[in-house]
Amino acid sequence: MRRLIPRGYLFTVVGIAIGVAGLVALGAMAERITRFIQGGDRFVTGQISVAGAGIGMGAGFTGGGLLTAARIAELRQVPGVAAVQAQVMLPFNPSVSQFLTLTQELVLGVDAAVPSPNRHYRQMPVDRGRFLQPGDRRVAVLGADFAAARRLDLGAALPLGGVDFTVVGVLDKMLTAPDRFAIVTIEDARDLWLRRDPLLVQVFGSGSGGLVRADLNSGAAVGWRDGEDPDAVARRIRDGVKGVNVTIPSELSQTLRASTVFFSALLLGIGTLGLVIGGLSLSNTVAASVFERIRDFGIKRALGATDAQLLGEVLREALAVSLGGGGLGVLLALVIGTLVDWRLARDGQQLFFFSPRLLAFTMVFSMLLGTMAATYATLRIARLSPAEAVRRGT
Amino acid sequence: MLVRAVALVKSYRGGGGAPVSVLMGVDLEVKAGEFISIVGASGSGKSTLLNLLGLLEPADAGEIWFDDERVSHLGRGAQARVRGTRIGYVFQAFLLVSSLTALDNVLLAARYLGRDRRAAHGEAMRLMERLGVAHRRNHYPAELSGGEQQRVAYCRAVLNAPPLLLADEPTGNLDDDHARVVLGELRMQARERGTSVILVTHGGGTAAHTDRCLRLRGGRLEPMNS
Repeated sequence: MRRLIPRGYLFTVVGIAIGVAGLVALGAMAERITRFIQGGDRFVTGQISVAGAGIGMGAGFTGGGLLTAARIAELRQVPGVAAVQAQVMLPFNPSVSQFLTLTQELVLGVDAAVPSPNRHYRQMPVDRGRFLQPGDRRVAVLGADFAAARRLDLGAALPLGGVDFTVVGVLDKMLTAPDRFAIVTIEDARDLWLRRDPLLVQVFGSGSGGLVRADLNSGAAVGWRDGEDPDAVARRIRDGVKGVNVTIPSELSQTLRASTVFFSALLLGIGTLGLVIGGLSLSNTVAASVFERIRDFGIKRALGATDAQLLGEVLREALAVSLGGGGLGVLLALVIGTLVDWRLARDGQQLFFFSPRLLAFTMVFSMLLGTMAATYATLRIARLSPAEAVRRGT
Repeated sequence: MLVRAVALVKSYRGGGGAPVSVLMGVDLEVKAGEFISIVGASGSGKSTLLNLLGLLEPADAGEIWFDDERVSHLGRGAQARVRGTRIGYVFQAFLLVSSLTALDNVLLAARYLGRDRRAAHGEAMRLMERLGVAHRRNHYPAELSGGEQQRVAYCRAVLNAPPLLLADEPTGNLDDDHARVVLGELRMQARERGTSVILVTHGGGTAAHTDRCLRLRGGRLEPMNS
């Protein structure tokens, strides 16, 4: 340690570390929000979401009524459509809210026999266990936050609508909506829907409207063929299939971004605050450490050191100190962030995301700012005569 | 003639901003191998004169010559070179760098001249052996006694064998035994190596060991017996 950090710089290194830790922590919070927004955007722009017309209990990222099997068959005929996957999306806890947001816990029923049409998620990233397979019943694959919040792992039982589902897979952390999903087969999701909604049971029981079980879909994810413009395909669906709500991917993306304007502003504020606090702390600490050595500068100049030699010496020390302080600060932020996230994981939350780009930026930022502050302080001191420097430093 | 100062003038800003004249036309000539002392009351400008001669601060007016070179008007880089190669300093307050060991403090003098580190290291060790501080080479200044610090500072001052040694109250913080060692070394430098030594002191006792004694009074130098 002594070889890496010049003697007498311990408090400087600690001072820098605290400033950098603040910068990294604020940056990691900003990164977390960014990833959340980007992740949601990536998910919804990877598919065309379609629901039945009308106002139903919700259909994932759209709003609408039932999307019947006949409508799904029609969707498959639209030019440019590559695949259609029927889905049932329900709030996990119906007593809390029916309003679907990116942060709500959802039960997603998918037709496991149809490959995921989402271009950005051809396969859900499975961390442990496996994804759903055709023929599965009463098994669930859980999003990372959903599982962590309930401490559920492979083999555990998840009660859904009074029925226990066995957890067969847990997804990787995706930092977006699916982290809070419980994914089951569409057949199980239809059962759950029926158990929750007595009106639907009556409708099916009476046979009115000619509805069958296969009509019980809250929406569908539609994929497009290679080379097709997803917006154009979505418009073709809207124009060609009656009785459906279609979201245009780019419009949905814009809507999502508009709804996260506050988060974007918050993100900008956090980032700016981090840069200002961390930057000021770091530059002030480095400059102060150079000014503290004003007497040593006077002595060294008396011994024949030129301005260039002193500047070189100070820059080397500043780089070592900035790197040491920066590294220690990153470590400190990682430890604190990990501990906080470990505590929050019990509630299925994650506050920090320490991305490689954030850590790399912090180290470069530390070195640049440390070097600039050291150069500024050295040039200020270099104006003094050796005798004056010794006098001021004594 | 090694050192020649001509009509040196220096003043400082006083408390109210008014200039306070310290040196008002100082002339001085020092021959090679001469050991001279400058005495004067506190605040008479002795240390200021030494700082000017050592190029540690600029004079308001006047010139300083080393041999045939007018060093007072050189640029910053050239003056740094002169300080490193031709002047050694011994200060009352020792002025060691607290973050460096005793040995590294001595080697500082060689570092800025780009001297071969191995050769300088050997020379520094021989000097420290002779002054009895070699066994303290890895200690930091705060871990050394006043006498040891002054001997380390002396080793640093003479490592590059400068032709001029400037000593500002070098025995001021030392007991009699250590003071005798330092004065003996300065005298040896003058007599055996031909180094010019200018010693500033407020006490006549120390001055008695030198070849010539001058008094600084009223901003001017005068012979001690005048």
